[in-house]
Amino acid sequence: MAALPPEAHVVALARLPRVGPGRLRALLERYGPTEAWRAVVAGTVDPALVVHPGNDDPAAVVRSWQRAAAAIDPAAYWQAHVEAGIGVAVRGSDAFPAPFAADDDPPAVVFWQGDLDHLAGLRAAVVGTRRATRYGLDVAHRLGCDLARAGVAVVSGLALGIDGAAHAGALAAEAAPPVAVVGSGLDRVYPRAHGPLWREVARAGVVLSEYPLGAPAAAWQFPARNRLIAALADVVVVVESQATGGAMGTAMEAARRGVPVLAVPGPVTAASSDGTNQLLFDGCPPARDAADVLVVLGLEAATEGRTAAERRPTPRGDAATVLNEAPWGPVPVEQLVLATGLDLGRVALALDQLEADGWVSRRAGWVERIARPGVRP
Amino acid sequence: MLATVSSATLLGVDGFPVTVEVHVGQGLPGFTVVGLPDASCREARDRVRAALLTSGFAWPDKRTTVNLAPTSVRKIGSSLDLAIAVGVLVASGQLPADAVAERGFIGELGLDGTLRHVPGALSLVDAVETAEVVVAPGSVFEANLVGRPRVRCAPDLAALVDALTGEAPWPRPPDDPVPPAEPPAPDLADVRGHPLARAALEVAAAGGHHLLMVGPPGSGKTMLAQRLPGLLPDLDDASALEATRVHSAAGLALPGGLVRRPPFRAPHHGTSAVAMVGGGSGRLRPGEISLASGGVLFLDELGEFAPLVLDSLRQPLEEGVIRIARAETRVTLPARFLLVAAMNPCPCGEGVTPAACRCSDRSLDRYRRRVSGPLLDRFDLRLEVLRPDPEQLLRGEAADPSAVVAERVAAARRRAAERGARTNAELPTPVLERVAPLGPEASALVERALRQGRLTARGLRRVWRVALTLADLDGCEGPLRAEHVASAFHLRSDPGFVVGPQAA
Repeated sequence: MAALPPEAHVVALARLPRVGPGRLRALLERYGPTEAWRAVVAGTVDPALVVHPGNDDPAAVVRSWQRAAAAIDPAAYWQAHVEAGIGVAVRGSDAFPAPFAADDDPPAVVFWQGDLDHLAGLRAAVVGTRRATRYGLDVAHRLGCDLARAGVAVVSGLALGIDGAAHAGALAAEAAPPVAVVGSGLDRVYPRAHGPLWREVARAGVVLSEYPLGAPAAAWQFPARNRLIAALADVVVVVESQATGGAMGTAMEAARRGVPVLAVPGPVTAASSDGTNQLLFDGCPPARDAADVLVVLGLEAATEGRTAAERRPTPRGDAATVLNEAPWGPVPVEQLVLATGLDLGRVALALDQLEADGWVSRRAGWVERIARPGVRP
Repeated sequence: MLATVSSATLLGVDGFPVTVEVHVGQGLPGFTVVGLPDASCREARDRVRAALLTSGFAWPDKRTTVNLAPTSVRKIGSSLDLAIAVGVLVASGQLPADAVAERGFIGELGLDGTLRHVPGALSLVDAVETAEVVVAPGSVFEANLVGRPRVRCAPDLAALVDALTGEAPWPRPPDDPVPPAEPPAPDLADVRGHPLARAALEVAAAGGHHLLMVGPPGSGKTMLAQRLPGLLPDLDDASALEATRVHSAAGLALPGGLVRRPPFRAPHHGTSAVAMVGGGSGRLRPGEISLASGGVLFLDELGEFAPLVLDSLRQPLEEGVIRIARAETRVTLPARFLLVAAMNPCPCGEGVTPAACRCSDRSLDRYRRRVSGPLLDRFDLRLEVLRPDPEQLLRGEAADPSAVVAERVAAARRRAAERGARTNAELPTPVLERVAPLGPEASALVERALRQGRLTARGLRRVWRVALTLADLDGCEGPLRAEHVASAFHLRSDPGFVVGPQAA
């Protein structure tokens, strides 16, 4: 017990149920790590330290901590982190990331996989909805790729949709390292579908979390995760978001911290762009491509031209007619049939050609135009 | 004294000949029915006794034993009432034995001696091997459909005995029921917008392809499905007789006589597995899939059906029959139906439009699991049906009426029949590859889809068959053209809830 570093007790405390950064900080400030753990085990924690009680009864929370603590062996739990190669830094220690140390709502402890030095350069958060359209995914992928090429670390949340596309783009660039902040323990890959992406990001960059190993992904942890993304970022780009959602939360957190927020414009008719269009209306600068983001960061635009040269074969015949009628944004094939007046066979054939040439993408009977030739996700 | 009378009992939808043997002899007065009668069959004793007494006959005050041969088969229902009553009359000497020889008797008795119609009369009469059959007036019409035995009827027991003994002529059979004027079937011309869904209905009707419609509430899925039977051709003689037997065995009214129009069955999503595929204790009743045989089985809200019920459809979908086995009996019922299903794209119903769905990942996952992959795979046509935009709804041009489409469907079906299959969906793969090879452009299209992993080998056969149906509808001969294959691809796109949120 005596040989245990003080971090071990912080890690154990972080594993308790209903412990968020606020309560953990309160515990550590009052008692210090070792004493705090003793108080939890003994059930003698001052209920006043259960901050933001909400619907919780502070006394009941203290009792639930005591029960949960009985099942945790701090020494073994610490050993598990050491063996898994998980980095641990407590607030106030030298290793604690500087962006968090300066924050007004910092985590009490940070866990990471990968190399924390990757936080050294400029960082741009690219965030958005999980239910993205093809347009949003393409833009996120391209932003991630171009920002990484320009030497800016892409910060995101490894979620489905925009987050994943941004990380995939950053990885594809093989330039600046990607940074992920997740809302669960580092051994609890969520969403499962992003397991390979998660490991790639940990290998090439760093995955951060304020939750110890084994902590499941609870719903309240994702807004908390979003504040860390905002705290880390030098600029936040919201690619696609509904009127409410996690990405809008990230934008709010960023705005509160004085971090510039950019939004990618979307069709005014698309629910998937309601949030970003609102941000634009509220005065956020638009992010049309990585160059717009680099300007906000005070960097010069990327050396490549603003748009790559058009290399796709020009559509002819039915394909031209169909592409002409395809609006920006997803459209059902049926609407194209009606708009062009062609029969289904010719439209389907034209779409097949357009898809093969990279003009449109298709999914479940819907068609979406692809704006610019880029790195295909 | 012993009497032997011919009758029949029902097993599934098929009749089974039964010989009713009645023995009246010395002993304590009593009445026993042996030979595996079920409950309603055992009750015959009380009905027969009351019917004989109220009709003015004597009830033998001796030991009466009724045996239903063969004794190994369970006898079900009240169709043996009449035969037992006639047997008792003969065995007690109130009716000469030669009056009942070479005659079968099928019907239920009322306590006042009335002869009543029984479900499955068609199959029962068909099963009786005698040259003449006596049935209740209500069953005459069904009995005549069999065409083989001479059909006699009598309103009640007294009149029957008079006719059997020759004291009175046989009562005149009732006139054939006049089919009631059918309400006009829903017409395809009423549908505004939905050009692709209309095309899919036409293809489904022409090729016998199962159809899945995915769409938000109020997009018109049910309305479309109801118009499918109107596109199908009349049933041929064999199918019509088969459908009529099933309907008769299920006790459904047959107002128009032979079931000539393809049936349309739309069971509710609370339907149990037994109600769906047939079965039940005792007599094995035909289920919804058998009632829909030859026609359309429409499952609205496919995602709300119990997974067990849906999975029980898989085997009949492949084989066209349903085999129901119980410890005592096993029956094979026809189940050659066209499956049309409709479902919401997700629990909230808005999942068709990209990024508009409000469902949680977990509820989406559960929804996806309910409709299993193997079932989904059996739909040759999978289509998203969207709410038509107001422009189409108000000013869209009226589509071809059902009659015009039905003619195209009939023509396409004739072409399929020339290939030796009832429909293209049933065309064996080797025949398919021989009669409709892919044209060069179509091959390139298919190859690209296979390489991109958008198509599996099984999926290819299904797309191929649909493309053939499209070509049939267009009147094209020879190798399949690329546009037909491309259309078939689109008509079999993976529904959005299967693809899931697209990952980059």
